[in-house]
Order: sequence, then structure tokens, then C-alpha cells
Amino acid sequence: MDFALTDEQRMFKEQVLKFARKEIAPRAQAQDLKGEFDRDSWNRLGEFGILGLHFPEEFGGSGADVMTSVLAAEALGEAGVDGGLTLSYGAHTYLCADTIFSHGSDAQKREYVPRLARGEWIGCMGLTEPGAGSDVASLRTRAERKGNSWVLNGTKMFITNGSIADVAVIYARTGSGRGQQDLSAFIVRKGTPGFSVSRNLNKMGVKTSPTSELVFEDCVIPAENLLGGEGEGFLMALQTVEWDRSTLLAPFLGAISFLIQRCTRYAQERVQFGRPIASFQAVKHKIADMKIFLEAARSLVYRIAWCKDQGRPLNHLEAAIAKLFIGDWSLKPTSDALLVLGGYGYCHEYDVERIFRDSRLAPIGGGTSDIQKVLISRLM
Amino acid sequence: MDFDWTAEEQEIKSRVASVLDEKTRLELEDLEEADLDGVKRITAACMRKLADVGYLALGTGPGARGRAMALIAAQEELARVSGSLFLSIETSARLFGGVLAGFGTSDAAREISESLARGELIGALAASEPEHPPFPDGTGTGAVPDRGGYLLTGRKNYVTNALIADWLAVVGDVGERPAVFLVGPHLPGVAIGPRLKTVGYNGLAVSVIELNQVKVPETHVLGPFDDRSPLDFLRLVQDQMLTVAAIGLLQRIVAATRDYTHAHERGGKPVFRFQEIRFKLADMLTLCQSAQFLAYRAGWLYSADDTEAETVLHCAKVFAAEASEQAAAMAMQVMAGHGYLAGNPVERAYREAKLTGIAGTTSEIARMSIADDLLKEYGG
Repeated sequence: MDFALTDEQRMFKEQVLKFARKEIAPRAQAQDLKGEFDRDSWNRLGEFGILGLHFPEEFGGSGADVMTSVLAAEALGEAGVDGGLTLSYGAHTYLCADTIFSHGSDAQKREYVPRLARGEWIGCMGLTEPGAGSDVASLRTRAERKGNSWVLNGTKMFITNGSIADVAVIYARTGSGRGQQDLSAFIVRKGTPGFSVSRNLNKMGVKTSPTSELVFEDCVIPAENLLGGEGEGFLMALQTVEWDRSTLLAPFLGAISFLIQRCTRYAQERVQFGRPIASFQAVKHKIADMKIFLEAARSLVYRIAWCKDQGRPLNHLEAAIAKLFIGDWSLKPTSDALLVLGGYGYCHEYDVERIFRDSRLAPIGGGTSDIQKVLISRLM
Repeated sequence: MDFDWTAEEQEIKSRVASVLDEKTRLELEDLEEADLDGVKRITAACMRKLADVGYLALGTGPGARGRAMALIAAQEELARVSGSLFLSIETSARLFGGVLAGFGTSDAAREISESLARGELIGALAASEPEHPPFPDGTGTGAVPDRGGYLLTGRKNYVTNALIADWLAVVGDVGERPAVFLVGPHLPGVAIGPRLKTVGYNGLAVSVIELNQVKVPETHVLGPFDDRSPLDFLRLVQDQMLTVAAIGLLQRIVAATRDYTHAHERGGKPVFRFQEIRFKLADMLTLCQSAQFLAYRAGWLYSADDTEAETVLHCAKVFAAEASEQAAAMAMQVMAGHGYLAGNPVERAYREAKLTGIAGTTSEIARMSIADDLLKEYGG
């Protein structure tokens, strides 16, 4: 067993950290307060190469391995980039662009992936519906084949990037049953008649990432917009879980590193009873607990990334454990950080409050903690 | 990076597992209820078997730092079968044996070390004192030069193996310099108290030692040392072995609870089918695996001589200690009245779980140390 990163991986993480601290993080707090997607930061991420990191060069990427992608995502969090931007990036790159790259035809890949990798286009993925989240069998959006077209009808809910996306990967039923084999994936372009954003949702956290309800009413798309084969949608959605449990969890790790750095500095500067609060055991213990959580969580996420780099099929038990641990156990360190900063921590002007809110998504998004427990107990 | 055990690590795991056959496991059940003779007989017999597969000489001493992962691989096999035997053997092989291997230069020390590796004798380390933590800056045990040797006087608390050991390694001071004295338990001036009754790990023989003007020849003295590095080494080894003990405990808890929930029925179905039970099991496994990989990473950092090794080891120890307490409490709740019965594996685990947080570096001291490291790194 060996936990060493390569020199290239370490250096790249440092580069991302430096870049994000200078170019992105200073804008994060203001954007969060406005609750607006930051297109400028997005473009900078694209220019730096983050948005298409793992794609081959011919598709606008750098051919990075999964571990490097995880380190980049972690570095964004550590730099203080808000959870909204990192969520938008995760949904765009790994849930949308990668699905097209992994399952699309050559023509589809060439048309969409380079633009998505550069950040010229924004992508989203639509699986969840008002009445179906983890319960995939209850999905109701349908796609009917009519001649050379597919006609989509249905509603998608909680779609990250939904209102700003140029390209959407949408899952819909093509078979008559409710089984996994009846689910297919489609590429839908913004502006397609019958495709609309009915509303943006006002959320507790990750505020710079638009979350939308999408409506498909007799939305006609060309037959060639089917992604992969008919009935292959469920497996495609399942494959995104590998990214969801590695690169999409990594910013949460980085955010805890950020909190540790923020709290240690604050605790040494803040004086009460004639001495820095860093000298009080209760404050030290809170800082220590953040580090303990971070170290425990880190190996779980790295393990998923390493397995994917080895070409191994996803171990669903390990993936669920990583998701559950970060989801449920991150509450305390993010809350502790808020307490270390006291009244300041409770104010919107301070980033620890933002991270506390952003982190509340961890036990909900991408499969709730309860669903992870169902999976773990089933597989153990 | 490699999350798999290497072929060598796998091999040593298999060798240790081969020793712990069904017959040995039954004997180890008796260990928990055994009187002193029984403890000595069972421990000595297992020690000889483990010596035959190379366990006792594995990764012993500061010079064997590079083999830490092989050691952890082997330790985990033993720790998950019997916590008492594990702590007894590790005290002998890694604490007593470690200080001999690393700092014993005389022929006498070498001979004892070789006998130890062959499983011919049992060692103990006497470090903790009534008024001092295990490895303090200056102890109450002191030695004065006396005709080619030293006269050693002091009192040691909580000495594991004290009543079954063939040799005691006693930590003391010569002036202000630390030293380790190799003392036979039957030497004039050595008084070993009665066996202490402990909450858990009842298969250990723990006692106090009084030393009154005990004559120790120079050949049996390690040091006096110019710095405290031998004691730092012992503290680290102790924390590492306690962490692995907690991992073994977690594994026993998960296995026993899982088996029970499938075998025990309520309302005509196995209790495993109740969601609240399954969710507890999922949490327990999550705690177990998180602790496991954190311990592995801590071990690897130590083997790589990384500057963060001690910080992460403290994280691993605190996390494993608290995870095992939480898991034991959940297991007890799942098993209800059955778990509350004396002799049940979960009842035993519930008692044993408390040790990790209070033995070696306590969870409170470890947290302080983690925070101090972070404040030093980021607080400036």
C-alpha cells in the first residue's frame, strides 16, 4: 500500500491552488451574496484548463488522470472557491461533458466536448424529477420516437446549471416499462422548441450555482441526439457515480482545509481575556477535529479516484461509504469553524458561514445519506 | 499511489492468519477469563507460533520504519481476532523489542532481543507513573551510578505484561538524561503488585511495579541518551499499536453485529430487515473503513518519514478511539438485552473501546498536539 502522489500531481495541485487563490476566490464571497453565477470566474477556469482536465488533448483537455482531477477540485475548495462554482463545474464536466465523451458517437464528441471543455458552452445533466430522485423507477419523463426525431415530455427538478446550460444530457423513458432497461439519455440544446426553464430555485447554499426546474413539452430533437444506445441510460447515469464520489466530493475536502487555515489564523489574531483564543483548549480541540475529519475523509475519496484510474469497476460499497462519511460527518467541522469565529462566523460577510451552508448539500445531493445507508447495508 | 496490499504485505497477512486457526481462536476466548497462569500459558504459546511466521521480528525498532505497512498488515490480522493478545504481544515485540532493537548496543541486549524474536520470552515496558504521563520530560524514576551499574528507584503504573514478563524495560532518568533499564522481575528490590482489574481487555496481565534500589548492570542499560528520541519513538509505537487495536475492535464489532442481525428475528423477520438496524450497521461500517484507511495512511506517512506523520497518527488514534466507542454503543443498542449480557462479544467490545482514548497519548492531548501543529503551520 502506498499513498504517495506523483511529483506532477503535487505540482499541479499547487498550481491550481495558486491560480484559484488569485483569480477566483477573491470574487467568491460577493458572488455568493448576490446569488449569481460568476461567468467571469467560469471563463477563467476554462482558460486554465480545469473544465476539461481529463479529456484528451484532441477534445480540448489535458488527458489528466482521475487522481489529478480530484486534486484540482480539492485545490479549488482549499483556495476558498465557493461550493456553488465547484458544483457547477462538477455537474458540467463530469455529469454532462464526460457522459457525452464516454458514450457519444464520434460526431457528438467532436461537436460538444471541446466547447464544453473550454467552458464556451455550459453543460447540465437532468435525471431527478419532482416525483423521482433516488427512486429511478419512478421517473416519468418520456421520449417517443417519431420518424427521425424523439419527442420529449416531462419535468426535471433540482438541475444544477439548468438555466445557464447550453447543452443538457437528459434521461427519459423510451421503453414501456419502469425498468432500468427502459431509460435512455439524450442531448438537448438550449433553445430547442418545447424545452424551457420554468423556474430557478432559491437555495440555502451553493448559491452561485443555478438550480432549476426544466420542462419538456413536445420537445422535438433529432434522432441522432440519442446518446449511446436506446435503453443504455441507466448505466450511463450509474457511471457518473464514479465521478460523483471522487471529483465532486473533492471540493468538500478542500473546503475543510480552507476552514482549518481560516480558523488557525483567526484564533491567533482574536484576543479574549488578554490572550489569543488559540490558547484555549476548547478552540484547539475544534481545530483538531476539523483536521481529523479531513484526514479520515481524504483517503476514502482518493481510493475511489485511484480505483477508477486503475480501470476497475466502481465498488459501490466503497463509493457509498465515501459519500455517507463526507455527507454526515462534515456537519461538525463546518459548524465548529463557525463557532471558532463566533459572531463573525454567523455573518454573511465571512466565508465560514458560506462554507457551512454550502456543505449542507453533501448529505443530500447526488444520493442522500439515507440512500447510501440503504446501499451499504445491502452490500455489506 | 496504491490502495492494494503488496504481494509481501498479503503474504505476511496470510501467514499470521494461518496461525490464528479455529483451535487457537477458541483458546483465545478462554484468555479473557483466564487466571494469571492461563494468561501466561496462552500468551506464550501464541507468541511462539507467531514467532514461527516472522511476526515478532517484523518492523521492530526505528530502523524498520520503511516496513511499517507490512507491520500494519500483519497487526490487523491479529488485532481483529483478540485485542488482549494483540496488546500483550505488541507490548512485548514492538515496545520492549523496539527499544532493544533501536537502542540496545550491548551483547546482553542483543541476546534478549534475539530470544524475543524467537518467541522464547515475554517483555514489558514500564513507562507510566502515578504523577506522570507515559513518556514525560523527566520521570519520578531515577537511577544513580553504582559500581559499574546503576541503582534504580521508582514506581510504575499500568504495566502491561508485568506479571507474565521475563524482562521489564523500565524508563527512568540518570540525572536529567533519559535511559531504559532492563530489569529481571525477580531481581532484589523489584516488587510487582497484584493483577489490576480493568474494565476491558481482561486477557491482559496489568500491574504496578515498585523499584527500590534495584541494581542494574551497565550492560543492561540503554542510554543515558542525550535527547528524548528513544522515548518519542516509544510513544509513537504505542499510539500506532493502540490505533490498530481499535481498528481490530471495530472489525469485531461490525462482524458480530452483522451476524446477529441476520440470525435474530423479530416480528417474523431478521432484525436486519428493519431500516433503523440496517442504518446503524451502515454507520458502523463507515466508521470502521474510515478509521482503517486513516490508520493505513498514518502508517504510510511514518514509513515515508513524512513531516506530517505524527500529526496524522494522532488524527488516526483519536478517530479510531472514538469510532470504536460509537460503534460499540450502536452495536449494543442493536443487540439490546442480548448484547448487554456478560461474555457477549459486543459487551466485551463496549468495555474495551474505552481504552484507546485514554492509553498512550490521550485523545485530549492528541487534539492539543494536532492543533499546535496546525497553528504552527498556518497561524503565522
